[in-house]
Order: sequence, then structure tokens, then C-alpha cells
Amino acid sequence: MAYKFDWSVLWRGASAEWLLSGLAVTLELSALAWILAVALGIVSGAVRTVRFRPLRAAATFYVEFFRNVPLLVWMFFWYFAVPPLLPTPVQDFLFAHSLEFWAAVCALGVYSGARFSEVLRSGIQSIPRTQFEASVASGLTTFQAYRYVILPVALRLIIPPATNESLNLLKNSSVALTISVAELTFQTRQIETYTAKAFEALTAGTLIYLVLCTSLSAMMGWVERRTAIPGLITARRRR
Amino acid sequence: MRKTAALVGMLCLLAATIPPAFAETTLEKIARTDTLTIGTRTGSPPFGYVNSKNEWVGFSIDLVEQLIVPGLSQKLGKQVKLEKKESAPQTRIPLLTSNAVDLIAETMTDTRTRRDSVDFSLTFFVTGAQFLVKKGSPIKGIANINGKRIAAQQGSTNARIIREKAPKAVLREFPDQPAAFQALVQGQVDAYTNDGIQLAGLKSKAPNPAQWDIVGDFFSYEPYGMALRKGDADFRNAVNNALMDGIESGKFFEIYDKWFGPKGELPYPMSAQVRSFMLLQVMPK
Repeated sequence: MAYKFDWSVLWRGASAEWLLSGLAVTLELSALAWILAVALGIVSGAVRTVRFRPLRAAATFYVEFFRNVPLLVWMFFWYFAVPPLLPTPVQDFLFAHSLEFWAAVCALGVYSGARFSEVLRSGIQSIPRTQFEASVASGLTTFQAYRYVILPVALRLIIPPATNESLNLLKNSSVALTISVAELTFQTRQIETYTAKAFEALTAGTLIYLVLCTSLSAMMGWVERRTAIPGLITARRRR
Repeated sequence: MRKTAALVGMLCLLAATIPPAFAETTLEKIARTDTLTIGTRTGSPPFGYVNSKNEWVGFSIDLVEQLIVPGLSQKLGKQVKLEKKESAPQTRIPLLTSNAVDLIAETMTDTRTRRDSVDFSLTFFVTGAQFLVKKGSPIKGIANINGKRIAAQQGSTNARIIREKAPKAVLREFPDQPAAFQALVQGQVDAYTNDGIQLAGLKSKAPNPAQWDIVGDFFSYEPYGMALRKGDADFRNAVNNALMDGIESGKFFEIYDKWFGPKGELPYPMSAQVRSFMLLQVMPK
């Protein structure tokens, strides 16, 4: 009565092709969402530390609103609730051009952006206030101070927690299957449907995510070492 | 350090290779726990769903409650309780093989591929795939869905058949019926394909049933069976005997009429052909 494993289902038929296309969609979705998230995170994270109150309030609203609602709800929001607000021709265009993919990019990007924002804010706040004051005193505007002094330092400081968030983003991309995006998890289920071999398919998916995430964290580790500021962060040196 | 790593590695390998040591058969398990655990649906009216009174009911559940549970109780000589768990197309086979449930009683199509992993009971319902569309849609069946966006349920046999028979259709697969239907309502997709009976159930529960049409000839054959763990012939016989007793005594048809009769939840009269098919499945005592 024990379950009989049959690993050949992973390369028989169209399985390998499905896994590869799922992997491609996962990477594409995560990469686009990551760019969106980092852009939103940098802007809102920096804005949350400025003196001007209305700007700070707007950024705080963005962060609290988007990170405190489950990602699944955001997926449904961008896929089901946003299109009816648009004019009909735009709707038709979107429906005919992979709306689900772009909805998932928005959902994942905007949600993760709120989380990135907090990471960046903690980075900025760990820099002594005097750095900012010194840059302003030397004649820089607030924008210039952030652009040339505060952000370059903060972005280097936050690499470890930002790696964490990036890994989360990659794994969270699997939620997109709820709005019919055919990403990696979707494809592993597809294999299960065709072969009725759930454990094999899930194991393949798990291993692919594991390899992806491990390589990503190795890459970020390399970036961290390359960009370390001597004396400020003690990154592990290669021997 | 290296030793610890090697040890951990070995343990992982061991854990992966040891087969679960359950020598217990399903009947022994039911006798020990006095409980039959089934996997069924919460959102597939009228086979398994939560009704407006918040009760978990349905045709598939009734078959288990009124035919299989009494049959098992009689065979084991004691009262067997029924426990229901939620199952979905992606989870039902793992639920079964991991012993979390003993029987899948919902809307599962018996297929030859699935028989490599699980066993099936007698067929208890026969249907086929069709399309649900907005009234007045140009889609009339599987012949003219090329280039159209078609929603299907993830893990269902319908999606697979669309992929094979109409590769030019744009398939969008949703994890559950409500999401797929919402996409149809809003126009993200042009049609939703599922087994005809499920579409009928969905249409009757929709806010405005007259707005929807079920179109097309059956483009697949979907015989529903209850799935059981593979290679447990005694339990499968017990389940099948209970179903046969029910068909023979007419109780099965009473339950069918309760759900699909003229006054049932979803009128869907049994054709003479299906009736004789059901009767022919009954083996002599």
C-alpha cells in the first residue's frame, strides 16, 4: 500500500518543458516585481525620514496600507478590482494582453515595496543624523544630501535584510497562481494533474526554488562584500 | 563539524528512503478509530458544498453517509462515525496517500492515469465537459474557441482536454470555481469550462441565472468515482458493495432524486442510458 515513487514523470512527456516555462515566468515576474518594489521602497523609505510632514504621512500611509493586507488579497485586487475602473478599450486591451501577469507584477511589486521601504528606513536611521546635517551645511540641498550621501551609505547597510526581502518576493511569486499565472508552482501542479504523481512534482518544484534562492543569496553575499564600506561594516573577506 | 554535517545528511537520506511503515489496512484503521474520514468539497454544489444554513452537504456526501457508512458499520459490527475534510483537485491524491483521509467523495473523474496512483469505486455519476458563457456569446462549443480566453479549474481533466483538442485556445487556469466564475463575469475570460453538471450548479447559484448559457456538446466523458488508496482491495470491496446494495435497493436513486430530481437542488434527470449503466454495475450477490 506504500506510495510508489516514479521520478521519470519529471522528464517524460511535456513535464520538463512545463517546468522550464514555469521557471521562466517565475523569474520574469519576480524580476519585474523586484524592480518595482526596490524603486517604490527607495522612494518611500527615504521620504519617511524627511522633515516635511505631508510627504512623510503619504509614505507612511503607503507602507502601512500595503504591507498590512495579505498578498493574496492584493492579487485579487489588481486582477479583479482594478480593471473595471478603467475605460472599456483599455480593459479589452489588458484582457487580451496577459492582464494576469501584469496584475501579479503590480500586486507583488507594490506589496514588497512597502516591506523594502521599512528596510531602507531602518538603514537610513542607523546613519548618524550628523551626516545629513554635515552634508546640508556643506551646501547640498536635502535631495542632494539623500542622493549623494545618505542613500549610497544606507543601501550598502541594508543588503542583508534586503536579501531576505528579495528571497521572500521570489517565493511569494507563487501566490500568482491564484489569478491563473502559469508560474513554477502552477506547473508543478500541472504535472501532478497529468501524472497523478504529486510528491515527485512537488519535490521538483521545491528543489528549483531552493536552488534559485540559494543562488540569489550567494549573489547578494557577493554584492555585499564588493560594496562593503571599510570600517563601517565588517563584511567577511574572502581568504 | 564535518562529521555533524555528514550525520545530518545521512539522516535526511534515511528519512527520504524509509517507506512509511503502515501495515494497517484501511478497514483496520476504521475499526480502530471507529471513524471513516473522507475528503470532499466545500464549493462544488450539489456534490459537496456548504449550504445557506451553513451545513456541509451534497450528493457525494449523502452517498457516503447513507450507503457507505451503514455498509461499513454492518461489516465491522459497530457504529462508524463520519469525518469530513476539505479536499481540492491538487490536494486529494496526497491527502489519500498520506492517510489523512480514507476516501475521496466529491467530483473526481476516474481516469486511467489516476488509476496509476489511486483506486476508484464504482462510477456514481456521469457527466461531460461543456462551456458556461454570457448569453449571446459567439462561443457555441469546442469547435469555435480558437483564440478565445477559456477559464478552467487547475488540476481538472477539462483543462487537459482543451489543451489537447483546442491548442489554439488561450487557457487560463484558476484554483477554484468562484475565481474562475468571477473572471467570466468581468470579462477577463470569454468562457468557463467544467463538467456540465458543475456548470449547471454554478448557474443556478449565480445572482442572475438567466444571464448565463451552458453551451456545446459534451467534449469529454467524465465518470465520477470515489478514490481510495491503491491496493486495498478489502476496503474497495466494502465501499463498492455498499454502493451496489444502494443501487439494487433503489436507495441510490432516491438520493439522486433528492439532489437532481424535479424538486431537487439542481434538476438534472437521469437518462435511461445512465440508469441502466448504474444497474449494470451491480454484481450478483
